[in-house]
Amino acid sequence: MATAGNSNINAKLVLLGDMGAGKSSLVLRFVKGQFLEFQESTIGAAFFSQTLALSDATVKLEIWDTAGQERYHSLAPMYYRGASAAIIAYDITNTESFERAKKWVDELQKQGNPNMVTALAGNKADLEENRKVAAEEAKAYAEVNGLFFMETSAKTAVNVNDIFYEIARRLPRAQPAQNPGGMILTNTPSEIAQSSNCCS
Amino acid sequence: MAANNTDRGTSSFDFDPGPVPAPSRPVDRFGFVKQDQSGSPDELAKCKSVAEQERDGRRIRKWRKMIGVDGSDWKHYVRRKPQVVKRRIRMGIPDCLRGLVWQLISGSRDLLLMNPGVYEQLVIYETSASEMDIIRDISRTFPSHIFFQQRHGLGQRSLYNVLKAYSVYDRDVGYVQGMGFVAGLLLLYMSEEDAFWLVVALLKGAVHAPMEGLYQVGLPLVQQYLFQFEHLVKEYMPQLGEHFSEEMINPSMYGSQWFITVFSYSFPFPLVLRIWDIFLYEGIKIVFQVGLALMRCCHDDLVKLPFEKLVPALRNFPKDTLNPNMLLPLAFSFKVSKHLDELQHEYEKRNKDPIHHEGSTSKSVDHKLLDKSVMKTQSHDIEKPTFTQEKKDQG
Ligand SMILES: Nc1nc2c(ncn2[C@@H]2O[C@H](COP(=O)(O)OP(=O)(O)O)[C@@H](O)[C@H]2O)c(=O)[nH]1
Ligand SMILES: [Mg+2]
Repeated sequence: MATAGNSNINAKLVLLGDMGAGKSSLVLRFVKGQFLEFQESTIGAAFFSQTLALSDATVKLEIWDTAGQERYHSLAPMYYRGASAAIIAYDITNTESFERAKKWVDELQKQGNPNMVTALAGNKADLEENRKVAAEEAKAYAEVNGLFFMETSAKTAVNVNDIFYEIARRLPRAQPAQNPGGMILTNTPSEIAQSSNCCS
Repeated sequence: MAANNTDRGTSSFDFDPGPVPAPSRPVDRFGFVKQDQSGSPDELAKCKSVAEQERDGRRIRKWRKMIGVDGSDWKHYVRRKPQVVKRRIRMGIPDCLRGLVWQLISGSRDLLLMNPGVYEQLVIYETSASEMDIIRDISRTFPSHIFFQQRHGLGQRSLYNVLKAYSVYDRDVGYVQGMGFVAGLLLLYMSEEDAFWLVVALLKGAVHAPMEGLYQVGLPLVQQYLFQFEHLVKEYMPQLGEHFSEEMINPSMYGSQWFITVFSYSFPFPLVLRIWDIFLYEGIKIVFQVGLALMRCCHDDLVKLPFEKLVPALRNFPKDTLNPNMLLPLAFSFKVSKHLDELQHEYEKRNKDPIHHEGSTSKSVDHKLLDKSVMKTQSHDIEKPTFTQEKKDQG
C-alpha cells in the first residue's frame, strides 16, 4: 500500500503481462534510460526502485518486474498482493499478448488491492507497421475497466516516463490513516513533472 | 575454449576445439563479451605462471587416467574410489574435459547410447506447441555470449533444437523460461544431442531425484525448495531469518532463479561451472549450500538492511564473495542432507494435496529404467518416450 509521511509516498508497483511484451524493457528504460535489443529473459522476478519528484510529493516506487510466462503464474500473487499500482503490458504486434493482458486485469480485479492504480501499456508502439491491436480497441477496453491507457515504446522512450509519472500522480496522497473522509487529491495537468516525452 | 566448439559431433575424448576465430569484440575466456575494458592489468596478472601450467597439466593427466579412453574406465573408477572422485570434482573438473565428464556423471551418456536416433526424430519430425515461446526467448538467453549472439547462428539454432526437442519429449512440461539457460550452459560444452540427453537425465532423474517439478504447472519443486531454503536460513542464521520475516522477504524474491536455473542465470561463469561440476555429481544439495554460503558471507550487512535495500543486496552479491575458491569451501561446511530430508517430509505433510506432488518429489528413478528396452523408443512412435510413461506402464 502507498504509505505517506507529509509528501513522501512509498508505493509498490508490479509489472504484469505476457512474456516478451516488454515489461523488463519498460523498467530499464524508465530506471536507467537504456534499451537493449536483446533484453535477457526474466527468470522469477526482478526488483528496482526509483524516486519521482512531483510538484506535491516525492514518490518512491518499488518496482517488481515479473516473469511473464503462464507457467510462472503461481509466483505472481506474491508480487501483486499489497501493490498499490500495476502496469499491465502487452505487445501491440501480438493479439495473444492483449488477451493475456485482459486476463491479468480480471485477476487483479478479483484478487488485487481494490484501490490499485492500474495502467494498461500497449508497448512496442514503434512497430506501427506490424500492429495487430488497434489503439481504439485497447482504449475502449481500458475505459470500461477503469484503467488508464497509453501506448508506449521502450525502444524510442515514447510515453515511458509518462506512464510511470501518471501512476505516481494517481496514487492516493497523504491522508491521516484513520480519517475515513479523507479525500484523494486529484491530479491536474500542471503537476506534470519535468518528464519530457508527452508528445505522441 | 568451449565457446568456440565447432565440433558438433559426439564429443570425443581428445576434444579439439578447432581454430579459434578472432572475435571482433573482446571476450573473456568463456566467450562472454566483456562489460568493461578497465580490467586489462588484472588480465595480465591472471596469465598463468609456468608452475601453474605444469600443475594444470598434471591435473589433466590424472583426470584422463581416471576417465579412460572416451570414458571407458570411469564407472570402474567411481565404484572403487568414490571419495577421490568427489574430492577432485569439488576442486573443479578441467575445462577441456568438462563436457565429457558432465555426461558421465549425470548418466546422460547412457541415455544417449540407449536411444540412437531419438533426438533427431524429435527435432526433425515433431512439432511443439511451445515453438513460439522458445523462439521469443532464443535471442534473450545469454545475450552477451558470442556463441549465442548471432541471429540464427549455430548457437541459437542448437539452443532452439534442444529446447524444442525437450518440449516434444515431455509435452506436459513443454518449454519453461529458465530452461534455456540450463540448455545454453550445456551447449557451451557439448553437442546438441548430448545436451538434450543431459537435460533429460536431470529432469527425469537418471542419477538423482528427478527435477521436472521445477518446470511443471505450479512449479511444485520450486515451491518445495524455497520452503526448505527458508527453513535452513532460519536454522543456520536465526537472526537473519528473523530479519527476513520482519522485512517480509519471501525466499522467492531472491531464490527462485537459483533453483529454476541451478545458478546458471546471472552469476559469474567461473562460479557457475564449479557449481555445476558439483551439482551433477552430488545433486541439488549444492544449490542450498551455496545459497547459505552467500547469506553467511553477507550476514552482518544483510541484517541491517531495510526491505528496499535488502532485495537488491540478495540479488547482487559483492563480487569478492562470488569467488568459487572462497565460496565453495564455505558452502561445503553446511551439512544439509539430513535437514533437507526432514524438511521435505515436513513440506509434504503440509501439502497433502497429491496433485502437487506427483512426480516432483519422488525418489530417483529406479536404475532399471535406464535399461535399454525401457528407454528405447520405437522409431515410429516417439509420442511420449519419457520415464514417467514407462513407469506407469510397468506399474
Ligand atoms: N521494437 C521494440 N522492441 C521492444 C520494445 N520493448 C521491448 N522490446 C523487445 O522485445 C523483447 C522482449 O522484451 P522484454 O522487455 O524482455 O519483455 P518481457 O518478457 O515482457 O520482460 C526484447 O527483445 C526487447 O528488446 C519496444 O518498445 N519496441
Ligand atoms: Mg522480462
